[in-house]
Amino acid sequence: MTHVRGLTLAHMWVAFGAFAVACVLGVWQMWARSPLPAPFLTANAYFTSVTAHGVSMAYVLTTFLVMGFGYYVAETALARPLPLRRFAWFAFGLGIFGAAMTTLTILGGTATVLFTFYPPLTAHPAFYIGLVLVVVASWIWCGIMLTAMIGWKRANPGKPVPLAMFATVANAVMWLWTTVGVAAELLFQVIPASFGWNLGIDVGLSRTLFSWTLHAIVYFWLVPAYIAFYTMAPQAAGGRLYSDTMGRLTFILFLIYSLPVGMHHLFMDPQQSNAFKFLQMSFTALVAAPTLLTVFTITASMEIAGRLRGGRGLFGWIWALPWERPMVLATGLAFFMLWFGGGGGLINMSYGMNAMIHNTSWVTAHFHLIFGGTVVIMYFAIAYAIWPTLTGRAPVSLRAQRVQIWLWFVGMMVMTLPWHYLGLQGQWRRVATFNYADPLIASWGPWVIVSFVGGIVLLASAVLFIWNLLEFHRARAVAADLLRPLYATAVHPPERVPAALNGFALWNVLVLVLMIAAYGYPIAQFFFIDAPEAIVHRVDGRG
Amino acid sequence: MEPARFDELDKPWRKWASIIIGGGLAFSVLMGFLVIPVVQGYGAGIDPWTAICRAVGIAEGAPSMRQPTSDAQAKPTTNVAWSTDLLRALANTSGPGADIAQSCAACHGERGIASDPQNPSLAGQSAVAIYKQLNDYKSGSRVHEIMTGIAQALENDQMIAAAAHFAARTRWAVDSTTAQVRDPDVVRLVERGDPARGLPACNSCHGFSAGGPIETPTLSHQNKEYLARQLRAFKNGSRRNDIYTRMRSVSERLTEREIDKLAEFYATTLSY
Repeated sequence: MTHVRGLTLAHMWVAFGAFAVACVLGVWQMWARSPLPAPFLTANAYFTSVTAHGVSMAYVLTTFLVMGFGYYVAETALARPLPLRRFAWFAFGLGIFGAAMTTLTILGGTATVLFTFYPPLTAHPAFYIGLVLVVVASWIWCGIMLTAMIGWKRANPGKPVPLAMFATVANAVMWLWTTVGVAAELLFQVIPASFGWNLGIDVGLSRTLFSWTLHAIVYFWLVPAYIAFYTMAPQAAGGRLYSDTMGRLTFILFLIYSLPVGMHHLFMDPQQSNAFKFLQMSFTALVAAPTLLTVFTITASMEIAGRLRGGRGLFGWIWALPWERPMVLATGLAFFMLWFGGGGGLINMSYGMNAMIHNTSWVTAHFHLIFGGTVVIMYFAIAYAIWPTLTGRAPVSLRAQRVQIWLWFVGMMVMTLPWHYLGLQGQWRRVATFNYADPLIASWGPWVIVSFVGGIVLLASAVLFIWNLLEFHRARAVAADLLRPLYATAVHPPERVPAALNGFALWNVLVLVLMIAAYGYPIAQFFFIDAPEAIVHRVDGRG
Repeated sequence: MEPARFDELDKPWRKWASIIIGGGLAFSVLMGFLVIPVVQGYGAGIDPWTAICRAVGIAEGAPSMRQPTSDAQAKPTTNVAWSTDLLRALANTSGPGADIAQSCAACHGERGIASDPQNPSLAGQSAVAIYKQLNDYKSGSRVHEIMTGIAQALENDQMIAAAAHFAARTRWAVDSTTAQVRDPDVVRLVERGDPARGLPACNSCHGFSAGGPIETPTLSHQNKEYLARQLRAFKNGSRRNDIYTRMRSVSERLTEREIDKLAEFYATTLSY
């Protein structure tokens, strides 16, 4: 039982509570876009729902889960009490307060601007201020993670920081870099406009600043899944991690190449020039490296486990793996979805090919598959893995957990594959309803219904997930010694690693160099080019 | 472990990480800033220096094609172009608008409620909406036997002052106790439009927290006759100061019955 039990549980329950509500909204949105008559459907209701869905999934689920899991890792991987626990509870309260402020503005219908803001649309100030408070809470978390790692290193000079904690701190460092863009956009542009102090807003600048955040934020969400791949899945499969160094390199590469790449969201935007778009596209291509490293390392780790369990031949080890264990099953399915999602992503990031799918449903389908699929299925696996150590209880049968994971996988594939296809057919995103009387659009109808069915399966899985978590609180108590150790040992456990693989000083310098090269002039230009400003457009009925 | 040995272990990492990442940066810069623009420019007949300047973003245009030129003359639907300065001026209610607005009251009512249903009520309209119409009358974008003459006699500053004054003065004049009758077909048009006919919901622009252009007028409690007449004017093309022909394309798809029903709906409804 860990000291941070209450802290982790509180964060995780907030995260998964928001997730469950957002799932209901998501299914309704898919219904609204289908030819079937959906209840309560007005454009205003649709965009209110999309905003709530995006904020819940992208900000509340992720931030609270990353924070809660980080506290858990800091205490269990470092095997010492979490420092600054009062600050952690303060950050939790601040995050809840901020999320509540934002929720109220969305429910009040004064924030139909979606979770990515889209200025010059301007919502009620409390919408943005609430989100800033959530971000400030996450900055406190970053400080606690850094303090925990530095304290451990002082107490263990020369020893390598355990991989799970190294990865968590890499994520914290990356998040501090990441949030600079959106914080600048909100504090200097959007919030002053929302108070009515500015009537115009330089949308080129705000889109550029948001792009700074927009890709790395996805890796902030994704790192817990990768921590599970490297440190939990090999252990759950009964094997060892193939290479600890590969793990460290992966998380370092995420830190370096998630940041100077956001302009691949702006390929169609006029305010940035070709050369900088090309530069950031080539860096984006390098982001594939840590993912391919991971696919290789984890597959190798699984092969070790499969062969230890008696698997033979070229592929025989795959069938020998203990697929009945949720962590192993989720890892396999996550990798399967990663091929599709990653392949789609390569199209999005290619300067030329992006033009085919820009602003179509392809993009929405892509990020649902890669985040909702690969990443969230690992969130489930993490929850199932750590919950017994949090409650000291575990259900006898894992069947309901396996069913839930399978349902999520099937639902996600059924929902997103037709959705990709619709994007290629030209179906646009951010649209509430379609005119199915048009023969071209009518041909999309059946595929949207298939996607909708996938959404219903996902909702069923989400309900079962919450049920399964409650089971952990109701089930019989498990003796503490039955709670297996969580983190995988490497084939060659590191005894000492170079400072470069045990800290972030060098990598921060390199990130700074790349960020200056990639974003220096593209942001500076707005201060000496006389760019036209867009007129602020309020959606909250003020002014 | 001794610090010196530890440093030795770290040295190649620092060196090679910097070389590899710096090399990647140099390669991308070379390709993106020099090679590709020069090659693209060559294909489009653009000299290398111009192509590079365009790629970097310090000269206008793309490195891969000549700038298109056009002799087409713009015929704007309206001469109003919103700017932050104009909006600030319209938000200023301390200007000399009171005197000019006195002459408006004769037809549009002291507090913006027109007694003759031929004339529109201005109560509840924003300064932006009023200024847009005044300016259109002055420029000839919109034509009316009386208003054209009045607007042409006004300077731009006077139109701004009159709009700002009138909007501030009549903001709360609408009587909220008016009864209303709701027809489900009309409510559906207002709230959801009719996608099968390509009709957007009225309240996607004319409504609380709507996403339409800022100059969109409020329709609540407007004179029924005036509303119906404007929809028909848009429909037959005699009124044409709607940007992107938004209202013309909407009203040509409405039936005569729908026009009357919509006019009645807005004339008796306050919540939109």
